[in-house]
Amino acid sequence: MGGDDEFYVRYYTGHMGRYGHEFLEFEFRADGRCRYANNSNYRNDSLIRKEMYVSPLMMKELKRIIQESEIMKEDDQRWPKKNVVGRQELEIRLGNEHISFETAKIGSLVDVQESDDPEGLRVFYYLVQDLKCLVFSLIGLHFKIKPI
Amino acid sequence: MSEAYEIDIPVVDDDDAMLIDEETRPAVKRKGRGFGNELKESRDGVRSGDKYDQFESAADDDAPVGRAQRSVEGWIVLVVGLHEETTEDEITDKFADYGEIKNLHLNLDRRTGFVKGYALVEYETFKEAKNAIDAVNGTKLLGSTLHCDFAFIRAPIGSGGGGTSSERDSRDRTSKNRTGGRRRGRSSSPSRRH
Repeated sequence: MGGDDEFYVRYYTGHMGRYGHEFLEFEFRADGRCRYANNSNYRNDSLIRKEMYVSPLMMKELKRIIQESEIMKEDDQRWPKKNVVGRQELEIRLGNEHISFETAKIGSLVDVQESDDPEGLRVFYYLVQDLKCLVFSLIGLHFKIKPI
Repeated sequence: MSEAYEIDIPVVDDDDAMLIDEETRPAVKRKGRGFGNELKESRDGVRSGDKYDQFESAADDDAPVGRAQRSVEGWIVLVVGLHEETTEDEITDKFADYGEIKNLHLNLDRRTGFVKGYALVEYETFKEAKNAIDAVNGTKLLGSTLHCDFAFIRAPIGSGGGGTSSERDSRDRTSKNRTGGRRRGRSSSPSRRH
């Protein structure tokens, strides 16, 4: 098995605040293991941890979505830095390329347009939404829990 | 950090997914500000050693289902290769022949608003899902070739579903002894069919 087969995806968004460490995080390993963690202490103190294995076809589709986004060509150097509102991380290992991008939370496309690298940040912004959409579908169908 | 790329040898701890052949380990190009900031809260989430909930099938689901894994209310079929203008009605028409569709997720590309390219279809029984997969796989819709399979597979025996590494190791040993067969490991052939 060479480096070309390496594949890993992780997304994190969260902050430290009045209610402690509140976050949403998910990851996919090359073997199909998908983990999801969601901690929101507001009102009800609940930490959700879910794990499931997805099929090779699902992993192939995930890889396609990432490759077609061309996120690996981007760079987070000029993206908004993490701040008191929180941070996002997107880590992807694809063959011999490994990115771990870190930026502030993005409220809307206005934040993207006003940044120093709107083209790059837009790629990140939409990819993250597409990945969250996929993960929420998988979690919803497999466990029937309502994600935030 | 002044350079966009740093040539780096990956540091892999044994709990990591990235198993790299020691001999042929290639240089990995790393990029991004997320490397090297080991915040203590970064172990709260998916990299935590705590137990993760899995959906466990009841014993009577262990019928001849191969590697497929049942979900809480049925069996989830993944279809990929969808044309971007595919509609829910077209998916329903294609998949309703094999059983009642309990649930359908046809997710959209957030930028374009068109279909992203995949759909998740839920059936109540394994047989319905399996028939749908066998029948639809390789067929065309709107000129685009579809590929179908179960969305979820069983956890490899011995993977343990989280827990500390020592728990995982002990479970691994017992499961190996008990079943005497199924190989632990992450690399079953990607092309393997159910």
